[in-house]
Amino acid sequence: MAFFAVFQKTLLLAFLSWRTFQSEVLAEYVSLTPESLKVSTNSTCQCLQLQWSIHELPHHQELKMLFQMEISRVKPSNVIWVGNYSTTVKRDQVLHWSWESELPLECATHFVRIQSRADDAKFPELSIWSNWSSWEEVHVQHSLGPNTLLVFPKNKLVEEGSSITICYISGINHNNITCYLHDKLIYGVQLDSKASAFKLNNVPFIRKSGTNFFCEVNQTDIKSGATFFVSKVLEEPKNFSCETQDFKTLKCTWYPGVDTGLDWNIQPSQSYTLFESFSGKKQNCKHKNSCNWKITQDVQETYNFTLTAANYFRKRSANIIFNLTHRVHPMAPHSVRFQRLGATPVLMSWKVHALGNYLTLQCQVELQGDGEVIQQHSVDMKVNGKLLFGELVPDTEYMARVRCANAKHFWKWSEWTVENFTTPEAAPSEAPDVWRTVKSENRSHIVTLFWKPLSKLHANGKILFYNVVVENLDKPSTSELHAIPAPARGMKLTLDQCSYRIHITANNSVGTSPASVIIVPEDSGNRTEEVEEERIIGKEDGFFISWKPQSGDVISYVVDWCEPHQDLFCNLQWKKLGPNTTFSLISSDTFRPGVRYNFRIYGISTKKTAYLLEYKTGYSQELAPLDSPQVAIANLTSRSFAMTWKDYSTESQPGFIQGYRVYLKARARQCHPGFEKVVLSDDSVYCKYTIDDPRKKTFVVENLQPESSYEFFVTSYTGAGEGPNGTFTEVTTPDEHSHMMILIILPMILGVLLTMLSCYWKSDWVKEKCYPDIPDPYKSSILSLIKSKENPHLTIMSVKDCIPDAIEVINKPEGTKTQLLETRKPVTENEVTKPVYLYLLPEGKDSSDPGPCICFENFTYNQSATDSGSCGHVSVPLEEPPCQLGLLPSPNNLLKTLEKNYMNSLGEMPAEETSLSYVSQLASPIPGDKDSLPTNPPVPAHCSEYKMQMAVPPCLASLPLNENSSHSSMTL
Amino acid sequence: MRARLTRRTLFSLVLGLLLLSTAAAMRGCMGPYQHLLSQLQRQAHLTEDTSSLLEPYIHLQGLNTPILRGSCTEHPGAFPSKDALRGLSKRSFLRTVNATLDRVLKGLVALQKQLLNNDLKELETARQNIQGIRNNIHCMSWLLGGSSETAEPMQTGPGSWLQLTSTLDVFQAKLEGCRFLRGYHRFMGSVGWVFREWGESPSRSRRHSPRWALHKGVRRTRLFRRGKRPVPRGQLPW
Repeated sequence: MAFFAVFQKTLLLAFLSWRTFQSEVLAEYVSLTPESLKVSTNSTCQCLQLQWSIHELPHHQELKMLFQMEISRVKPSNVIWVGNYSTTVKRDQVLHWSWESELPLECATHFVRIQSRADDAKFPELSIWSNWSSWEEVHVQHSLGPNTLLVFPKNKLVEEGSSITICYISGINHNNITCYLHDKLIYGVQLDSKASAFKLNNVPFIRKSGTNFFCEVNQTDIKSGATFFVSKVLEEPKNFSCETQDFKTLKCTWYPGVDTGLDWNIQPSQSYTLFESFSGKKQNCKHKNSCNWKITQDVQETYNFTLTAANYFRKRSANIIFNLTHRVHPMAPHSVRFQRLGATPVLMSWKVHALGNYLTLQCQVELQGDGEVIQQHSVDMKVNGKLLFGELVPDTEYMARVRCANAKHFWKWSEWTVENFTTPEAAPSEAPDVWRTVKSENRSHIVTLFWKPLSKLHANGKILFYNVVVENLDKPSTSELHAIPAPARGMKLTLDQCSYRIHITANNSVGTSPASVIIVPEDSGNRTEEVEEERIIGKEDGFFISWKPQSGDVISYVVDWCEPHQDLFCNLQWKKLGPNTTFSLISSDTFRPGVRYNFRIYGISTKKTAYLLEYKTGYSQELAPLDSPQVAIANLTSRSFAMTWKDYSTESQPGFIQGYRVYLKARARQCHPGFEKVVLSDDSVYCKYTIDDPRKKTFVVENLQPESSYEFFVTSYTGAGEGPNGTFTEVTTPDEHSHMMILIILPMILGVLLTMLSCYWKSDWVKEKCYPDIPDPYKSSILSLIKSKENPHLTIMSVKDCIPDAIEVINKPEGTKTQLLETRKPVTENEVTKPVYLYLLPEGKDSSDPGPCICFENFTYNQSATDSGSCGHVSVPLEEPPCQLGLLPSPNNLLKTLEKNYMNSLGEMPAEETSLSYVSQLASPIPGDKDSLPTNPPVPAHCSEYKMQMAVPPCLASLPLNENSSHSSMTL
Repeated sequence: MRARLTRRTLFSLVLGLLLLSTAAAMRGCMGPYQHLLSQLQRQAHLTEDTSSLLEPYIHLQGLNTPILRGSCTEHPGAFPSKDALRGLSKRSFLRTVNATLDRVLKGLVALQKQLLNNDLKELETARQNIQGIRNNIHCMSWLLGGSSETAEPMQTGPGSWLQLTSTLDVFQAKLEGCRFLRGYHRFMGSVGWVFREWGESPSRSRRHSPRWALHKGVRRTRLFRRGKRPVPRGQLPW
C-alpha cells in the first residue's frame, strides 16, 4: 500500500515535471502564432492584402517560417482557398501577402485566417503548426439600397483567352434582374441573396473600347454595367535586325505585331526597349517598329541587342548579335556624271558617302536602252567610281543606274541611283534604201524616187534632209542637186530620154550617209509589153513569189508592189534581194483580203540598171464578187432570148472572176440541156448553167416555149464563191405569130395615119372642092329690106332694088396675084375664079362709134370668132376694085383698119358668143338712096344695123351651109 | 519720368496691337448677314445629324444595343432647351451658343483623349465644325453690334457635362459620353431652329436689325479698312 502511495507520488511528480516542461514548450509554440492580422482590399486588382507579424521569435533572430492561409467566402466555414507562404521572418517584422480574388470582392464578404510554423530543419521542435489566427472579415464598403444594382468589376483588364468573373449585387429579387454580355442574354450563379456571379471563360478580343456587361431590373429603369477589357496577347517582335549606313548610327527595325493598346487609358500600346549587353546600355524606342542606336566613338565591333516588347501582361524579346561591318547598308550613290568621249564611248562616274577608309564597296552598274539591260558591270571602289561604256549607238538615250554594297561582307545593296544620258549624233552609217518607178511620157521619163527612212541604228541622229544628185550620163558635165527636207520619202523627176545616174544620200547634223545609186537608162527598162502577167495565190503569211534565175550580170533583184491607200494612192513597197535568190515570201501587215496586188520583179544589172523580169498579180485572199452583172435581154423570140453583160468589170472585183453562173427558174421545173438542176433549202428549184470563161459575157437561152415566163439571174464567181444574190428578172417569150401581126398592123396604122394627116393638111382644099359654104337666102337682109318697103311682090326681087354689097369679078384674065394676109396660102390660079369680096369700111376705130358702118361681107363667113385670123385674114386682092377705090387710101391701110376694127368688135363680144360663127349682112343706111351710093360715102353718123343671120358652132359649120354659100355666091 | 514714358509707350503699343488683331479678325466677317445666317443654318443642320458623331461613337463603344441606346438619353439641363433658346434675344442667344459650344469643344477633347490612336475620326471633324460655327457666331455677333463673349451666357445645370477622370467607371463614362453627344446634337438642332426663325421672321429680324443694314453704303468703304477697327454707327436696343 505504501509502495503504491510512493509510486503514486512519484508519478505525480513526474507528471508535474512533464507538465511544466510541456508548459514551457507550449509557451514557445504560442508565440509563433501570427498576430495583428489585418486584411485590406484593392479593387483594381481584386486583391486581399494581408499584413501580420510574429511578435517574438524564440531563440533566434531570424527564422524561416511557413504560413498557411485560409480564405472563406460569404461565411467562414465556406473555405474557398487554402495556401502556403514561406518566408524568412525577422524579429518584429510585419509580413505582407496578397491574394487575388477571381470574384470581385464587392460581391461577397471574405474571411481570412492564418497559421504558421517554423520551416527550418535546425529547429524541428518548432515545426508544429501554430494556432489559427482569428477570422478576419473583409467587406468592401458600398451602400446597397433597396433599388440598387451594382455590377463588378469595373474596368477589368484581362488577356485574350483568359477567364473573368463578373458579378452584381442588388437588393432586388434576382428573378427580376436580367444581364447581358453586349447584346446577349447571360445567366449566372447566385452567390447569396444579394449577389450573382458570371464566369466567362476564354474571353475573346472584340474591340479596343472594351466589352460591355450590363444588367437591368425588369420593368424599371434601373440599369448597371461594367466594361472589361481584353488585351491581345503580346507577340514577339519579328524580323529584328540592325544596320548602319554611315557608321554613326545603327538603325534597328522589326515587325511589331498586333497592337495591344486599349482605349480609355486602360492599357497603352506595348513599349519597346533596346538593350545592348556589351555596353550595358538601354534605350526606350520612340517608334513601335524602329529604333536608332548611336554608335559611340570607341568603335565597338560586335553588338548584342535584345529588343523587349512589354505590356501590362507580359514581355517578349528578340535578340541579335552581329559585327558592325557585316551590317553595312550603303546609301545610294550620288554625283553621277557622264563624260562623252565620242559618238559611242561614254565615261560614267559616281560617288558614295564615306564609310571609312577601310571599307571597300562593290558597285553594280547597269546600262539600259529601250527598257532592256544592255550592259552590266561590277566595280570595286571606296569613294569614287568610274566606268567606261563602249559600243553605244550614237544619238541614243540610255539609262544608267548604280548601286553599291559592302564588297567583303555583303549585307544589302543600296538603293539604285538612276541617271539618263544621250550619246551624241554621228553621220548616217548606211545608204538609204531607194527604189523608183519610171513612166515614159511625151518623149520624157517621169522618174519617181522612193526611199525608206533610215533605221535609228543607221541614222545616227535626226535626218534633216536628203540630197538627190541627178547626173546625165550622156552629158557628164551636167548634174543637178536637189535637197529634199526630211521627213519626205520621195520625189519626182522629169528627165529626157538620156541615161541618168541618180545619187541619193541622207544627211543629219553631223554628216552624210553613203549614197544609193540608181541608173535610169534611155529605154526606162520597163518592158511591160514584153512581160506577161502571171496570177499568183496569196497565203495567210503573204505572197510566195518566185522567178526564173537570170544568167549574166544580175547583181540583185527587186520586187516591188503597191499598197493601195484609201485615196487609191500607190504606196510603193519594195524588197531587195540577193543575186542568187529566185524566190521570196512577200509578207506585210497591210495585205488585205480582196485587194489585188501587182508584183513586179526587176533584175539589177552590174551597171545598176533595173529591168523588168516578171509581173505577177494576186490576192492575199480572194473574196466573192461584190456585185453581179447587170444583164440586158436581146433577141427575144418565142423560142429563145440572149443575155448580155458587156459592161460588167471583172478587174474591180475582190478576186479573179473565173466565170459566170446563169440561174434560170422555169415553171415547168425542168431544166434545159446543159443546165444543172439545183434544189435549194427552201425547196425552190433552179437550173444552173456555168460559164467557165470570164471573157464570155453573152449567153443565149434556147428551146423555150412560146408565151412562157422565165426568170433568170446571172452572177459571177471567184475562187471564194459566187457574187451576191440578186433578184431574178422575168422574161416572157412572145407568141410565134405575133411578129406576123406586127408586120400587118404596123403598115396599116401608118397608112391610116398618113391619110388622116393628108386630109387634115388639105382640108381647106377639100372643103372648097367638095362642099363649099352656101348662104341661106331666106335669112338675107335684102329680104328684110324688101319687106320693109311693103312690096306686095315679095317673092320678086328686082336687081335694081339691090344694093350690091359685093362685086364678084369672074374670069378676070389678068390681075396681080397676091397673097392672103399673114399665114394664108398663096392664091393659086384656080382660086382666081373664086368670088372676090371687097369690103368698104368707114374710118371709125370703134364699132361703137356712130360712124359709117357699111361693110361688104362674105355671106359664107363661118369661121369661129375665136380664130382671130379668120377675120383679119380676109381674102382681099391687092388690086384695086373697079368701084369704091377712091374710098381706100391704100390696100394696106384698108387691111389694117379692117383688122383693127374687127378685133375691137371681138373684144366687146360676150365670152360665150365667141365660139359662135356670125353671118351678117349690112343694110342700106338710107332706103332709096341707092343711086348715090357709088359716089357718096356713107353718112358717118348713121350706122346700119347688123342683124344676126345665124349662129353655127364650128363643128356644125357643115356642108349644107357651105353649099349654100357657094350657091349664094353664084346667085349674087 | 522716363520710365513712365516707356510704360505709356508700351501700353499704347499693346493696345494698338490688340486693335490691329481685332480688326484683322473682323476682316474675315465680310459676308453679308443673310449669307452668314444661311451658313449658320446649314452648319447647325449638319451638326444636328447624329450620324455625324453620335452613331459612330455608339458603334465604336459597343453601345449599339436597344437597352444601352435607351440609356443614352440627354441629361436634363445639360444643354439649353429649344424653348429657352427661342426666348433669348439674338445677342444672348449667340453668347449662349458660343459658350455652350466652347464647353462642347472641351468635352470632345476630353473624349478624344480617351481613345487610342484617334479611332473616332468624326470627333476631329466635329471639332472643326464647331470651331467654324463659333467663328460664324463671332461674325454674326459683330454684325449685330455686339460681342459673343462679353456677356455671361445662359447657365446650364451643374455636373451635367462630360467629366472623365482617371478613376472613372468606363461603362458609365461611355454612357456619359453618349448622353453628352446626344445632348450636343439636340442642342444644335435647337440652334438651327432658332437660326431658321431668324430667317423666317421679319419682325424679329427688324427688332434686331443687323448692323450692315444700317450702314449699307458705309460698310464697304470704311468698315474693313486696313488697320481700323470697324466701328458700329448705330446701336439697336437689345
